[in-house]
Amino acid sequence: MPAKGFFTDTTLCIGCKACEVACKQWNQLPDDGFFFTGMSYDNTVALGASTWRHVAFIERPVPLQTQDAGAFSWLFSSDVCKHCARAGCLESCPTGAIVRTEFESVYVQPDVCNGCGYCVVNCPFGVIDRRSDDNRAWKCTLCYDRLREDMQPACAKACPTESIKFGDLDHLRAEARARVEDLHEKGLREAYLYGEDEHSQPGTGGLNAFFLLVDKPEVYNLPPDPVVPTKKAKDAWTSMGVAAAGMALAAVGAVLWGKER
Amino acid sequence: MIAVTTDGRDIDLEVAKLSGEGALQKVRPVDTHMQRVAREWGKLPTPDTSDPTYYGRPVLKEPVWHWAIPLYFYVGGAAGASLVMGSAAQLDRSGELENLMRRCHWAGIIGSALSGAILIYDLGKPSRFHHMLRVFRPTSPMNMGAWILSSVSPSAIVAAMFAQRRGILGAFGEISGVASGLSGLALSTYTGVLIANSAIPVWQESRRVLPILFGASAMASAGSIFDMFFEDRAARRVTYTFGTVGRAAELAASIALERQAGRVPHVARPLHTGASGFLWKTATVMTAGSLLLSVLPGRSRKRRVAAGVMGTLGSIMMRYGIHQAGVASARDPRATFRQQRAGHGAAELD
Repeated sequence: MPAKGFFTDTTLCIGCKACEVACKQWNQLPDDGFFFTGMSYDNTVALGASTWRHVAFIERPVPLQTQDAGAFSWLFSSDVCKHCARAGCLESCPTGAIVRTEFESVYVQPDVCNGCGYCVVNCPFGVIDRRSDDNRAWKCTLCYDRLREDMQPACAKACPTESIKFGDLDHLRAEARARVEDLHEKGLREAYLYGEDEHSQPGTGGLNAFFLLVDKPEVYNLPPDPVVPTKKAKDAWTSMGVAAAGMALAAVGAVLWGKER
Repeated sequence: MIAVTTDGRDIDLEVAKLSGEGALQKVRPVDTHMQRVAREWGKLPTPDTSDPTYYGRPVLKEPVWHWAIPLYFYVGGAAGASLVMGSAAQLDRSGELENLMRRCHWAGIIGSALSGAILIYDLGKPSRFHHMLRVFRPTSPMNMGAWILSSVSPSAIVAAMFAQRRGILGAFGEISGVASGLSGLALSTYTGVLIANSAIPVWQESRRVLPILFGASAMASAGSIFDMFFEDRAARRVTYTFGTVGRAAELAASIALERQAGRVPHVARPLHTGASGFLWKTATVMTAGSLLLSVLPGRSRKRRVAAGVMGTLGSIMMRYGIHQAGVASARDPRATFRQQRAGHGAAELD
């Protein structure tokens, strides 16, 4: 089974939030309450247990070649779980509830998840979260149920501008690189791919849901150099070895030389 | 036929013409206050494009653990370190440390039972703890912790039952005693790995110190408990030495942790400001105080109790301080951005 994923081309996004709605409808996710944030048109705020697509609205006092608004540009980006090649949530899960599927996506098995919350602190993108009723972790499934029926994920299906493209990863990467070249030729030199493979994002081994951006990752609330925490765990385990050895020595020393004579 | 005027939109502008009584009213110009407000609104927001965030919103999700988890770090640590002390006491063949050994085993049994209870309370139901024992996953420090905690109670119980017997049962008890000491070493230090293995900047940045800090703090916690509750002439200096080394190491590790986290100044901020900074600093003062009380000449009972109380408070507050620092660190998008821009993301692995 070829690896499947998303290529989200943010230059095509028009901020309609059809992806958010389609996701909520298909996956039968509840609303997150209705409030006005004042953050441009973004009243969704962030991804979470009940929000698996989130459109970011960025208002910049910076001109953009493809937009005609003077010293101002508006960026939209539909954020989603990245289904990392090395996933922090998957590697840290103590129950094995989080698995890699035949589509190379990262899937949480709801009947195995024990609600420990460890994946939440291990996601370098702040994607996965616990639902507040029974504490189990929920996130985008890459519409696993739809993929099994040869359908594309609901968000990609609903996207009216094909800003969200779904398909075989190899195919998407080629398409994305061609698109960047095309944009560069049109004068949009800022365009680049975020996390399209291991080379561009070694910390996660590449993202199965990658993006085309036109500003720093921080602008879109994406980390500039994310890393799966497990890659750094060796330092901590070594330190634990040192701590244990020191404690054993202290205890033996205390008994041998510390006893009341 | 009415001529349709159009401005490009395919609509009849005649329909939009205002007419009727309401349309004739004279509109008052907006007052000066509203003019001022409108001027403000007219200005574009000018965020600092050199150091952008997304409306200051966090990148990461903050730790979802509540008060029970830092408490578990303390209880598990104290139980583990007690078992290490009990295991070392087996080296003494005079029989003078038998009381100490028994107390250590019991501290381990009670502490690990309490730890299990706290974790199950946090998870919601016992079967959820069991889910972690379906698999053995070295990539997940929490899974390793579940196995460590599960090995502590049985070995400590067998040790408590048989360690003071003679013959084969005694040997069995002694082996269990050693096993309980080894699992105690792991129980009191793995929690440092548990939180170091995370995307939270302040925890990840101090990963080389956290296990040592937690281990040292566990020694200080165990020593403090014996300082406060037991008066045993033969064992007093053993627990005193163990605890004092722990307090000194905890203090040194606290300083080392601040320096490690401070390699990227913004990452160490929660250790200096806010509730986490208050807890962390107070914990350091408490630990320093208990260390001072335990190294000054003269060992009155009162002073040992005071040192024990301060040491216990220091250890507990340190763990809550670290927990709160993690929460504050996750809330601050710049902690993540600056850590990674400073080359401390994936770049430092090359």
